[in-house]
Amino acid sequence: MRDDPTVVDLVIRARDGEKNAWDELVERYAPLVYSVCRRYRLTQPDIDDVGQSVWLRLVEHLPGLREPAALPGWIATTTQRECFRLIRATSRVEPVDLLQSPDIPEQAIAEEEVLRHERGAILRTAFSELSRKCQQLLSLLMQDPPAPYDEISRRLSLPVGSIGPNRARCLTRLRQTPALALLAADGPGPNDE
Amino acid sequence: MNEEVRPVMDPEWHDDEKLIAALREALASAEDVPSAFVEAGKAAFAWRSIDAELAALTYDSALEPVAIRSESAILRSLTFASDGWTVELELTPDAVLGQLDPPGVGMVTARGDGGELATADIDELGFFVLGPPPTVPYRLVCQTSSGTTILTGWIPP
Repeated sequence: MRDDPTVVDLVIRARDGEKNAWDELVERYAPLVYSVCRRYRLTQPDIDDVGQSVWLRLVEHLPGLREPAALPGWIATTTQRECFRLIRATSRVEPVDLLQSPDIPEQAIAEEEVLRHERGAILRTAFSELSRKCQQLLSLLMQDPPAPYDEISRRLSLPVGSIGPNRARCLTRLRQTPALALLAADGPGPNDE
Repeated sequence: MNEEVRPVMDPEWHDDEKLIAALREALASAEDVPSAFVEAGKAAFAWRSIDAELAALTYDSALEPVAIRSESAILRSLTFASDGWTVELELTPDAVLGQLDPPGVGMVTARGDGGELATADIDELGFFVLGPPPTVPYRLVCQTSSGTTILTGWIPP
């Protein structure tokens, strides 16, 4: 994984006691903690409990964190461990099935969630870097079902005929935002051929 | 786990429809997270200065079937455990009764996000009586004279 300069910077500042940096780390990784908990079908109070443990362990772990790039992986596996702890503590039956015969190895689940989270975070950053016009257009097109073209035309004062080309242009811009362009450049290189 | 997971561009993102679908999922997954969950995470920073062993909840009487719950004045009993330490609690209307195991003389403090709420001595048998019980969610910090600090999970008021 690229050593994301933002994450490295946030970790260092949080370690030095800067509350703002900590808040940003939490905002950035809360969806990861949340999605791992959801994966184990925890209820909201249990998710809150796991979240508390994970953040406390992270507060503790910050000074010893040598490679901030490893942070998402650490958060995902710590969340998993806390989910198991809670399932063990609260279920009346031993969660043997859950722990001993997973169809998907636990490590694979953690990696999958990390990858999904990182991709999601990058897409959200990329989207926030788009012009307001593009954000509005894409938001309407992302609705399920997508807003009809005549409604988009009315709301954004765009001729119906230009919606298609604008959509293509906005998606191209999305791919060209620094967040996504970096990934494309970072993709499989000559060494992988 | 493998720490070299690379969030390389998903090849599917070259397709307009798939890129829109991925974007929709990315924005929705961030919206799914309740703001209270994020706020609680931010508040955890206040615990940074406490260098303690975390004791996690291992038993909660509120999760037992109603039939076998005690009829006494005990509202709820909880057990927290860390490697080597157990904190057993009985929540009554007047006080939090606790026992630290293995026993050791020390101090116990109830702390909320806003700071210290109450404090009491731990006797040589590991017993403590902390009262009146806090009225906001809190955690207990047990400091033994032998130099160990144990922090329990959150306890409801």
